Amino acid sequence: MQLKRVLTLRTVVATSAGLTLASSTFVAAVQVAGFLAGDAAWLAIFTSGLLCFGAAACFSELNARYPSAAGIRLYFARAFGERVALVVSLLYMAVVLGVVGAESYVLAQSLTFAVPFVPPLAWIMIVYVLVTGLNIRGIKIAGNFQDLITYGMMVALVALGLAALAQRGFALQAPLATGGPASFINAVAVGIFLFVGFEWAAPLAEEVVHTRLVSRGMLLAVGLLSLVYAVFTVAMTVVVPREELLSSPVPHMLFARHALGPAGVWAMVGLSLAASATTFNAGLISVSRFIYASARECVLPPVFSRVSMRFFTPWVAVLTVFVIGVSASVGVLLTGCYLTIVNLAAAMESLVYVLAALAVVALRRKEPAACGYTVRGGLFVPALTAAVFLGLLGAVVLVNPAVGLYLLAGLALTWLYVRHVVPALKEKYRRERRSRRRQSSPRPGALP
Amino acid sequence: MATHEEITASLLAFQESYNKNERLKQMNRDWDRVILIEASDIPSRHTLELRGGELSVREGAPPRPDLVVIADSETLTDLFYGDITPTEPYMNGTLKIIGSEDDIVRLDFISLMIWGE
Repeated sequence: MQLKRVLTLRTVVATSAGLTLASSTFVAAVQVAGFLAGDAAWLAIFTSGLLCFGAAACFSELNARYPSAAGIRLYFARAFGERVALVVSLLYMAVVLGVVGAESYVLAQSLTFAVPFVPPLAWIMIVYVLVTGLNIRGIKIAGNFQDLITYGMMVALVALGLAALAQRGFALQAPLATGGPASFINAVAVGIFLFVGFEWAAPLAEEVVHTRLVSRGMLLAVGLLSLVYAVFTVAMTVVVPREELLSSPVPHMLFARHALGPAGVWAMVGLSLAASATTFNAGLISVSRFIYASARECVLPPVFSRVSMRFFTPWVAVLTVFVIGVSASVGVLLTGCYLTIVNLAAAMESLVYVLAALAVVALRRKEPAACGYTVRGGLFVPALTAAVFLGLLGAVVLVNPAVGLYLLAGLALTWLYVRHVVPALKEKYRRERRSRRRQSSPRPGALP
Repeated sequence: MATHEEITASLLAFQESYNKNERLKQMNRDWDRVILIEASDIPSRHTLELRGGELSVREGAPPRPDLVVIADSETLTDLFYGDITPTEPYMNGTLKIIGSEDDIVRLDFISLMIWGE
């Protein structure tokens, strides 16, 4: 049996890489470079990418076992139980909203850099109203357009980076000088942020001919992203003084102006808009659908599952995301704490990768029935992935203790919500549902 | 475990409720889809077909469906009677749906509009 419509490897790679490429990744890339002594950012970025291969392999196995758009919610529920899965998923979605907040902040600053008379807050509101409007109308970037944006962005970033490096005669300063193991580990830990979201291609498992295509797509996306980030970050640090980059929320704009002048600024505005469009598209749609699905299973009040009769979209969930997203963005704008969110996202992502690796181990024991794909080498890859990302999580928290506190507070709050509020919601709304099956009289099943 | 006949009856109940809802039919007039409903624990296959907003049910599997819905017979029966929402069995892996994400979400919206929250 074959489905009428299926996705190709090209689209899987574009989706995985497109979700990851964002305006805020340029800020994180500069932070990676900031930890290192010479122009060695490429080394830390390739190492982060290599470590993400381990996580990608674990996600591939989980995805082959349960090819579902439910993703980590399903994997973790099977491995560790419903409660743990719900706590991690709720917190993860909250962090994603924070990332969207940081992303809108960086995008707004980028636009204000090019058009100084429009303040960042105005850009934030314009972006959110536009994205929410599209989301309520059910319009999203998909298929060939997503491919075009993502591949176009990757080619343009590499071309810009190489052109800038060529201008400077490829004169790198100490390209292997990391400044010591501690600096390198911290750089790699923040480098994980550059790949945040590559595993979001997992839901495509329901739309491809073979789940192996999703695994290959994720690995290819991580490989391509490593190359793009490495070239672009090294180019930024070669062209612009490092202190200037580190103190700016828009290092990519500074780079574009230094390298290509006003034309470069406008080219970078285009690239930044494209990068943010894919992130907003994926982030806001995913969070609003998550809120809708949570309301459908009584994890949130049913009001969040209201659907627009005109556009077939969950409008209450979309508007909720709008309100929370704008609040997060304004919060970032007022406090300028975008780096804290970048670090928080890196820490959360590391935690999710640790759990994914442990889920592989747990599920091999719990449900040993053969699945479509098993990571080779027995427990080596999942054990190494869990250990490495646990170490990186520790590194992020050690350097930024506030991030550790926020993460713990978030886990505690979601745990309390799942422990006390969710059972009450389920009890209340399930009682109202009456069985139609028992009431209905048996009917003859005569069908054509 | 439910029987094939019980699944058929639940699908007929679903079809009846759907076809009574004029607004839903109007909303789906451009959403032509062929859906295979397959039980994982008993030999039971049905085809749901939406064409021009009208929903029909027939025995057996279509050659090239747009969506495939797979679950145990008990879950399928409860699902199409509206006794459970699709979200919970979907989230815990009991219910598998193969197809585009948009189509999966649309199917859930239809179920929500027929059976309510």
